[in-house]
Amino acid sequence: MKKKVGLYTGTLLGVAAMFVLAAMTTGSAQDVQITGPTVPVDVDTAGLKGPVQPVLYRHDVHVTQYEMDCRYCHFAAEISSSPGLPTMSTCMGCHLLAGAVNPEVEKMKTAWNERRPLEWVEVHELASFVRFPHHRHVNSDKGVFEGMDVPQKCMECHGPVDEMPQVYKFATLKMGWCLDCHRDSEVSQDCTVCHY
Amino acid sequence: MTTSNDGMNRRRFLEVLGVTSGGTAALSGCSTDRVEKLIPYLVPPPNQVPGIATWYASTCGECPSGCGVHVRVREGRAVKVEGNPGSPINQGKLCARGQASLQGLYNPDRVRAPMARTTDGWEEITWDDALARVASQLAAVDPARVWFATGRLTGSLDRLTNEWLRALGSSNRVVYEPFAYEALRHANRTTFGVDAVPQHDFSAARVVVSFGADFLDTWLSPVEHSRGFAEGHAFRDGSMGKFIHFEPRMSMTGMSADEWLAPTPGTEALIALAMAQVIVDDGLATGPSDAARVQPILDAHAPESVADRCGIDAETIRRIAREFATEPSIAVAGGVGAQHSQAHITAQAVNLLNYVAGNIDNTVRFTGQRGGSTGYQELAGLISAMRGGQVGVLFTHSANPAYSTPAASGFTDAIQQVGFKVSFAQFMDETAAMADLILPDHDPLEQWNDSEPRPGHYALTQPAMQPVFDTRQTGDVLLQITQQVGGRLAGAFSATTYKGFVQESWRALQLQFGDRGDFDTFWTNALQAGGVWRETPTRVTRLANSVGTFADAPVWEAPGGDAFTLIAYPTAALYDGRGANRSWLQELPDPVSKITWGTWVEMHPETAAEHDIQNGDILEITTPSGTVSAPAFLYPGIRHDTIAMPLGQGHTSFGRYAEGMGANVFSLLSGEVAAFGGLSFYESATMVKTRGHEVLATNAGRSRQMDRGIAQAVLLGELTGEIEPHESHGGHAAPVPEHIERVLDEWQEAQYAEIESQGEYAADHPQWAMAIDLSRCTGCSACVTACHAENNIPTVGAELMRHGREMSWIRIERYFEGGEHGEPFESRVLPMTCQHCGNAPCEPVCPVYATYHTPDGLNAQVYNRCVGTRYCSNNCPYKVRYFNWFDFTLEGERFHAFPEPLNWQLNPDVTVRTKGVMEKCTFCVQRIRAKQNEAVLDDRDLEDGEVVTACQQTCPSDAIVFGDITDPNSRVSRLSRDQRGYHVLEGLNTRPAITYLKKVRNVAEA
Repeated sequence: MKKKVGLYTGTLLGVAAMFVLAAMTTGSAQDVQITGPTVPVDVDTAGLKGPVQPVLYRHDVHVTQYEMDCRYCHFAAEISSSPGLPTMSTCMGCHLLAGAVNPEVEKMKTAWNERRPLEWVEVHELASFVRFPHHRHVNSDKGVFEGMDVPQKCMECHGPVDEMPQVYKFATLKMGWCLDCHRDSEVSQDCTVCHY
Repeated sequence: MTTSNDGMNRRRFLEVLGVTSGGTAALSGCSTDRVEKLIPYLVPPPNQVPGIATWYASTCGECPSGCGVHVRVREGRAVKVEGNPGSPINQGKLCARGQASLQGLYNPDRVRAPMARTTDGWEEITWDDALARVASQLAAVDPARVWFATGRLTGSLDRLTNEWLRALGSSNRVVYEPFAYEALRHANRTTFGVDAVPQHDFSAARVVVSFGADFLDTWLSPVEHSRGFAEGHAFRDGSMGKFIHFEPRMSMTGMSADEWLAPTPGTEALIALAMAQVIVDDGLATGPSDAARVQPILDAHAPESVADRCGIDAETIRRIAREFATEPSIAVAGGVGAQHSQAHITAQAVNLLNYVAGNIDNTVRFTGQRGGSTGYQELAGLISAMRGGQVGVLFTHSANPAYSTPAASGFTDAIQQVGFKVSFAQFMDETAAMADLILPDHDPLEQWNDSEPRPGHYALTQPAMQPVFDTRQTGDVLLQITQQVGGRLAGAFSATTYKGFVQESWRALQLQFGDRGDFDTFWTNALQAGGVWRETPTRVTRLANSVGTFADAPVWEAPGGDAFTLIAYPTAALYDGRGANRSWLQELPDPVSKITWGTWVEMHPETAAEHDIQNGDILEITTPSGTVSAPAFLYPGIRHDTIAMPLGQGHTSFGRYAEGMGANVFSLLSGEVAAFGGLSFYESATMVKTRGHEVLATNAGRSRQMDRGIAQAVLLGELTGEIEPHESHGGHAAPVPEHIERVLDEWQEAQYAEIESQGEYAADHPQWAMAIDLSRCTGCSACVTACHAENNIPTVGAELMRHGREMSWIRIERYFEGGEHGEPFESRVLPMTCQHCGNAPCEPVCPVYATYHTPDGLNAQVYNRCVGTRYCSNNCPYKVRYFNWFDFTLEGERFHAFPEPLNWQLNPDVTVRTKGVMEKCTFCVQRIRAKQNEAVLDDRDLEDGEVVTACQQTCPSDAIVFGDITDPNSRVSRLSRDQRGYHVLEGLNTRPAITYLKKVRNVAEA
């Protein structure tokens, strides 16, 4: 099985260097070099799908405009059954120096300064009797995952996160939906693969 | 109803059912209004990846053995404790108590913050306030009136306590362990001039003779002994060791014996001397040259002259002596359950026996001298000082004498005379309840500490997680008190934290080892390994000038008339009572009686018949020191003139699981200090049958096999061909006609045809299987508690146990053989769990396919499919399916089993089951899947032995082997082909995946 650690580390360094460089050359925390296609800053939040989060974290801006890899924040997806929730220090790692000045970022910074974690609303909640090993899926090249890179695989279940100003539940996450994919991919459909 | 297939199969039935109940289903579907929050860390904690366990090496704090542990931590919480494979003491294994240490950490009845006594109870105070109160008391009292009582401490905390007291100006340190083996130490001082407890190498002994030492239950270091005993004794390659046990009752250790002989209570010394006499007289062994010195003592104890007094005939003693002398052997004595008032004489006699047989410095090795008594005598000194008003301030730590001393000792009255009592207790135990101030200690899993459980073995304890409550480590508290008190006390210590103090000790240790390297490296390596162990040279041990007096070989005076000899014995689960506040241990069926949540009185069925006593009749037992009531348990493994009761229950204050359970048998004991400085656990007792009766809270059905051949045994001679195989030693599968066999095969294939055509499982796949060697299993039940810990199994309490509604996925079945009408008595054990039958009776009766066979050979139970018909359980011949009659996990429910924070222990990899579903052993499917995931990511195959079930992992005698039976070279397949292999209830053609290997008995005839 191919491991994508090299790519992953590369992305990390790249993103970090990008921000540091931007801060040094421009002297302003607001001017971050945009490497990807720009995303409109203003969105009509009332029309957005998905639960309202304590901070309107723009997955679309971070993924599309700054070309950040999913694994920059969801750091454990390749190695663990759990994808990993970014710690507040991950946010501040960039936003200490860089990033837009806007009320949403300020909310996050205030929480950080108060040593208070943000309470995100869970979007993709699985029943407690289901096991979904993220690492098995992210590292898989079978069936529908054949030829995909990691972000593409993520989006296979999580939807076009790169276009989501606010994340919503893309798939039903019901067993039939899981099994459809397992059947198409010709991988195990045994109950105890997920239920134990 | 027609017999043709009219389309009403199980699926169709459910579809119809689904239509009628569709309306409600739409409302109660998977969607939920409940909003789950994801709370991120502010900064990532070190060494933690979500979903991946972090393991910390530490040391078990449940008894003085000092087993090394690895603590499994998930998302910052300790969820499982396993043995540290690197520790030479337990080599990766743990007992039930070690497994249950998590329930100490998360005990809902821990003292959660410093507490001060008020006029009408307790108030929670701050640590600053608490420290100030101690400081002001210390300032006001004459230092000579400050006393400090602890349990056995061996490392830095021992040093700190002593140095702290000395700096204060006091030397009043008392060490008290209820099981201090004073008789053994006394005997070693007398015979060899060594005040120490030796190490016993059971693995090198082919013949083991125990004189009441329960070395597999509680004696000294049971996990280590279990491993060694299995190595030395279990059947392998056509031969095995022999174990002969002398004790008036058959303890759990005795159940593993090839021969159990019940001498007149208290006469073990005579037998040991007689055996030694035979060895010397017949020149059977070449002991050390000075062994001849003891000849005059031995000559007075020839087998013929002691046979009548001990009730064992001379020829038997001679035979055993010959067997003992001609092979590598070991004799042991000094178990608590055999500690009568003359127990030191037993131990001295056994010392001589080992000496003349050449076992000393061989299987019995003295590796160092550790001074200091830790026994009852010292405590008696404290009691008389308290009574005399000489104690102004009393500190107690890791000792609970208010419970574990006989009421007759007067401890509870005497402690009232103490001006100010400070307890460092973790729980509100009986001694803490009498204190004025409680400064709660960290649990061993939360603290920095070290210990030296034996010479040369330096073990480290490190915190596996943040403290659960507002507690502080006693070492830190002592150092903080020094700063509060100030003056000369403050200047006495350079370390400001206890961790720093421990590191000071380790800097000294590093120098002592001649290691001139960097301390941080030394420290980190030691932490990672769980400690440092060095071989300690065996000191040459020779007889002391006086080897003791045996002139009239005093024995325990058995009471006459109506009185019985009462034996108070410790159990593997509750030890000296400190296990009683853990629900796992309370619900662990006693290895011998199979009773949970209580105390009982063991009595021979024939004695019971004489007094018209049935199982469960409440008896009133009276000794000169007190009276307690408990139900009778009829046990063929006890002498007719003896009754026995387990220690550990009857707490008046120790939390919800301990209080009010059973009776405190310590209260029946005499408070007198015996000649060897300890307590006598034998008493003369009278028994009165009351009109009361209770149903015993047990998980055992019949204690006889009724020819079902469940726990099978074979004589060694039958395996070696010396004896004709005997029919009655095991059941046989009913003969199956060939055509039936063929139909069964076809049915089995047809069942899986559909599944096997699906997905990648169509390819070659493992078939998981297990082999359990009954010649290794001792019945210790560590696997039962390990299973509770791994699989989120609730405890149900005594009431549901009585209804047969226990939840434990694995049980140790115990069967009696013989024992009546003068027949020799034998006890057999068999771990019974889901057999994962290839042709499982539970599967075809499930209307919803909640239980089915997986392609890799597991009998799966899908909780979310189960609708709770219980058909499967009805159809299971092994009774290994357990139904959730209640919601054990919901706060406020009557049978709530996980009161906060006990629920913190739940294994996040295993579903917590709810009311109305069936559950059972899964072969630890979560461990299988985890290892498979690892292997797939590493692009490799699973290796044999990589998947280890929780029961197998902890089994101290390595009786359980798990693996893929399709791999002909795997351990499990080799064992399954063993000539001793059989399946339980084979005649039902269930084709179990568990192969049992028959117990082998090393006796001439059954």
